Amino acid sequence: MDVFLAIRFDGGAVTEFFFNDVILRGVRNTLEVTILAMLLGTVLGVILAVMRVSHSRPLAGFSAFYVWFIRGTPVLIQLLVVYNGLPQMVGSDAFTHFLTPFRSALITFSLNEAAYMAEIVRAGIQAIEPGQMDAAKSLGMTNLQAMRRVILPQALRVVIPPAGNEFIAMLKNTSVAFVIAFVELTTAARLIYAVNFKVMELLVVASIWYLIMTTAFSVLQAEMEARLTIVERERAIPLTTRVLRALGGGRER
Amino acid sequence: MKRWLRHSLLLVCVVLVAAFVASACGDEEEKPAAASPTPRAAGSPTASLAAGVPELADGTLQVGSDIAYAPIEFYEEGTQNPVGLDVDIAKALAKELGVKVEFMNTGFDGLIGALQAKRFDIIMSSMTVTEKRQQEIDFIPYFTAGTGILVQAGNPKNIQSLADLCGKSVAVQLGTIQVDQLDAQNEQCAQKISITTFDQNPLAVEQLRLGRADAVTADYPVAANDARLSQGALEVVGTQFEAAPYGIGLRKDSTALNAALTKALQAIMDNGEYDKILADWNLEAGSIK
Repeated sequence: MDVFLAIRFDGGAVTEFFFNDVILRGVRNTLEVTILAMLLGTVLGVILAVMRVSHSRPLAGFSAFYVWFIRGTPVLIQLLVVYNGLPQMVGSDAFTHFLTPFRSALITFSLNEAAYMAEIVRAGIQAIEPGQMDAAKSLGMTNLQAMRRVILPQALRVVIPPAGNEFIAMLKNTSVAFVIAFVELTTAARLIYAVNFKVMELLVVASIWYLIMTTAFSVLQAEMEARLTIVERERAIPLTTRVLRALGGGRER
Repeated sequence: MKRWLRHSLLLVCVVLVAAFVASACGDEEEKPAAASPTPRAAGSPTASLAAGVPELADGTLQVGSDIAYAPIEFYEEGTQNPVGLDVDIAKALAKELGVKVEFMNTGFDGLIGALQAKRFDIIMSSMTVTEKRQQEIDFIPYFTAGTGILVQAGNPKNIQSLADLCGKSVAVQLGTIQVDQLDAQNEQCAQKISITTFDQNPLAVEQLRLGRADAVTADYPVAANDARLSQGALEVVGTQFEAAPYGIGLRKDSTALNAALTKALQAIMDNGEYDKILADWNLEAGSIK
């Protein structure tokens, strides 16, 4: 194989390091920070989106400013600001030690994700006919009640596909957290190849893990979409077809 | 109002495009001349050294380096002009070989892979010669440095040796020999050292300044320079530990280049250039003459 590829590639190292402790810790850290940041980011994003479509100018203005600021700056810089900058501004030892690489990454990715989710949720809200809001209000609901009980549940269907996209993008983007020494999957691979020089082998290990994770979440997304589908016949489509569709294949219909 | 807004937006776009074009033009002139002494005219006494060396057939010695390790290699503040001990030695060697020298910035942990992938001809990046690295590439030793321990001024944790780091937290650069040293030390520690690895030395030093790490370990000249630049906030403990040679890294099949560089190194040691460069950087202590 070495001869054919004309590069040194040690296939054995891929299997040897696939279940390595550091790699597994990296997988776990990647999953933890991605899932938690997505949850926090979604909650914040929904709040920001509702603020954005509200009739209060200060609230809408703040939301717009937030999205503008977070989307307009690189996440790598945001990580460094949270991890190194905030402790300098606060100047308390306890706070510095509180901001571990994991917590800094979680805070940054949550705040970052909130901006993107705010836009996705706003699009979802605006996709619902205004008549729905009027109808809800005519039943005596307040604005917030109508939002929570009528608009947001319907918006969910529109929101899920782009949100799934965001989730998968973030799963991989967490690799930027190497700058703050957060040992996610890519950093884990780098830690090992810095010692044994099997660079490509470990990058392949990391890539296979990323593919496994993104596949799992694509299936989950397909399942969620199917459950939220109103049309009955759509539910009858077999799981495999829905999964294929979620993975970008299966175009029949 | 609307019109005014549209006009100012247009202006912003024009400025951005202009800045982009200007910088693109700037790029062109800075690429070939990253750090180049004038090539020696043919017929100079040692110009023949480069003859028959395939890597130098293009007239340029390409050097891979992680250029963020002052004073050994770093960018002159605010420029893209590499300077430092390694840069000066590389220039002197290239002059002996009668070729130009070009530094190519590469992350430290990616240097050996990039050398093997022929992205450049040699590595000069404060790289300590170790057995593990020698399994991958060849080295020509040219300098010697040990490890320095950088702590906050006044040494509040009273760290005097590598053994004193047990139970403490240490920030260090990824892929450096200091990581290996700390791992080895950890084997003998009752209370483990908590090791955090960063991409670049300055990011590790930042953790010490913030009080997140109790110490940073780096090559002694670098630690000393970090302490100097901190303006009294940081200091280096005692003397250096585990002094070992820096080597110019070469691919194992670069035998002709290896021979030519070895001769060139001997030549600059003989003609006083080597001593002069070390003196310029106050690094005479690391001489291997």
